[in-house]
Amino acid sequence: MNNAKMRLVVKPTVGVPLFLSAVAIGSFAVHVAVLTNTSWVRDFLSGQELGSGDMAAAKISDADPNVAKASYVTPAPGGGQEVTIVMPDGTTARAVLKPDVLAAN
Amino acid sequence: MSDDPDKVWPTGLTLREAEEVHSYLIDGTRVFGAIAVLAHVLVAVSTPWLG
Repeated sequence: MNNAKMRLVVKPTVGVPLFLSAVAIGSFAVHVAVLTNTSWVRDFLSGQELGSGDMAAAKISDADPNVAKASYVTPAPGGGQEVTIVMPDGTTARAVLKPDVLAAN
Repeated sequence: MSDDPDKVWPTGLTLREAEEVHSYLIDGTRVFGAIAVLAHVLVAVSTPWLG
């Protein structure tokens, strides 16, 4: 049989578990990759129609197009924080948040 | 590599024993592969996998 002579130099007690582990780890990794890159498995496991999760998410995100897409907070020069908001039309708006400073007597 | 069928190699196996062990492993791989192919065909037919 092809390649059977490898058992003469690699102990089956080493080679067989190594081979089975490689198959198990490889197939597990591939299935994890499928689970993390698709949404229909989640739909299947939760008993929904396959693909309905993505559609529901799209509906939510399209429900109110006037909602800002994202906002980021960074430290503002001179203290406080600067909030950058990406508006629905793609433009950005900024707001600077500064803590109140009590005037000393 | 010696072709003496009765020589005991460093793993403690003769050539005939090595071929026997290997044949079981190959058979197991074939059964596993057949079941896996069947499972993948069923998944491909019944889910959006592969589009």
